[in-house]
Amino acid sequence: MIELVRVSQKYTYKEVLKDVTFTAEKGQITCLLGLNGAGKSTILKTIMGLTPIHGGSIRIDGEEINQNTYERVSYIPDHLAIPASMKLSDALRFMEDFYSCWNKDRANELMRFFDLDLDERAGRLSKGTAAKFNLVLGLAQDSDYVIMDEPFAGIDLFNRERIAEVFSSELVGNRGVLLTTHEVKEVEYLIDKAVLLRDGVVARSFECEQVRSEESKSVVDVMKEVLLT
Amino acid sequence: MNRYLKLVHLEVHRFRYALFSLMFLTAAIQITGLVHTTQVRVKGWREAARLGEHSTRNFSFADVIGDLQFLFAIPILISIVVLGLYVFLIWYRDWIGRDKFAYRLFTLPTVRRNVYMAKATAIFVFVFAMVSFQLLMLLLERQLFNWMVPSEYRMSSLFAEAVASNLVFVRFLLPLDGIQFVVYYGIGILAVFVLFTAVLLERSYRLPGIVYAILYVAVCGAAIGGAVYLNLYNYFYPREITAIRFCIYLMVMGFTLTLGFRLVSKKITV
Repeated sequence: MIELVRVSQKYTYKEVLKDVTFTAEKGQITCLLGLNGAGKSTILKTIMGLTPIHGGSIRIDGEEINQNTYERVSYIPDHLAIPASMKLSDALRFMEDFYSCWNKDRANELMRFFDLDLDERAGRLSKGTAAKFNLVLGLAQDSDYVIMDEPFAGIDLFNRERIAEVFSSELVGNRGVLLTTHEVKEVEYLIDKAVLLRDGVVARSFECEQVRSEESKSVVDVMKEVLLT
Repeated sequence: MNRYLKLVHLEVHRFRYALFSLMFLTAAIQITGLVHTTQVRVKGWREAARLGEHSTRNFSFADVIGDLQFLFAIPILISIVVLGLYVFLIWYRDWIGRDKFAYRLFTLPTVRRNVYMAKATAIFVFVFAMVSFQLLMLLLERQLFNWMVPSEYRMSSLFAEAVASNLVFVRFLLPLDGIQFVVYYGIGILAVFVLFTAVLLERSYRLPGIVYAILYVAVCGAAIGGAVYLNLYNYFYPREITAIRFCIYLMVMGFTLTLGFRLVSKKITV
């Protein structure tokens, strides 16, 4: 379980996150939702140790973030984080070199699934293709959790459908997924849990199925209610 | 250790074309200068011999290297400037552009000080690769000189004389005194670590970090400069002064590495 307890973060003097507390469980898809600047990406970066926290704690299966965290949690940022001059085949070799949890067979399977060319250079990929390759790099690790920052941003409809397919496939399997997205409608049916953020504060956290059955509301309805009032 | 070496390989691989370009530039300028100067000298010697002037003395490889102060200095200075700028760029290139590699670099399953040390090691590899290349070039150039100059005009010279005849070599690049070599390159290595830590201060604290970085470089510079120009010969023996200098360098190095490792592990923001 990814567990954030009263996490706060400041950027110079501005508080970006205030007492953020929530959990993301294994086997579930948890979605961080909020308007632009709410702190969604910052939360993902704090979990990956890419920005320091100024209060609270972050634990992954009870352990604080350390170098082994990166074998258990794979991170898919909102852009392809490999040098532009690198060929995709070299990028796969790079990942295999550094991650002992790298699953070569799954990487090949994903490359075929997304129809990606190994000889292409990272810098020459279109946004959609880069997003797909980004998913390959994240999902080909035998990790317990996958963290994704805006996996659908700037992607055309057909590619979005292709990416959404991955969530309900064996490629994600029983892993815990924590993602941020603005395309809520398109992934609503996939999400188990939603965490709504407003100005760096968790405004509401809920199980989607429960809200649907007990309150007869969709995630978007709750978002409108919480974030726009 | 394994991942550290892989990171060093990665960093060296990323700079390979720039390094080869510097080597090519060095070779091209130096060989062109050497060939031209040697041809002029041989022509002058032949002319003097034809006119029956016997006052012209034979010349050596060291004489020609001594004549080429400026041409030999240019590629070396360009290399120093490029490598000096790369001390900063080796970090900033991972933050700039569409694909920010820093996201991947800092989520690799290895201790982050390996990233810091791998970047530093890569810089040292580039510096010593250039120095080694320069030494190889001198050997090649001496061979070229021997081919171009008939033996009756040629005077033999030691390799060390050739190095000593060029101020850029003897003062900066290849000091002939072993201790001086260690001190020069030791201070250079220390300076790289200080600048790395300054970059990390900026990357960790952004705008206020620039101020911290400038102050940090100033304090370290003062400590290193103070040690270099330490003039307490009325109070201490030279060996004691050397020991004091060494202690100051070690203290700056220790503090710089400790701070650098802490920043890269706990404070850096991507």
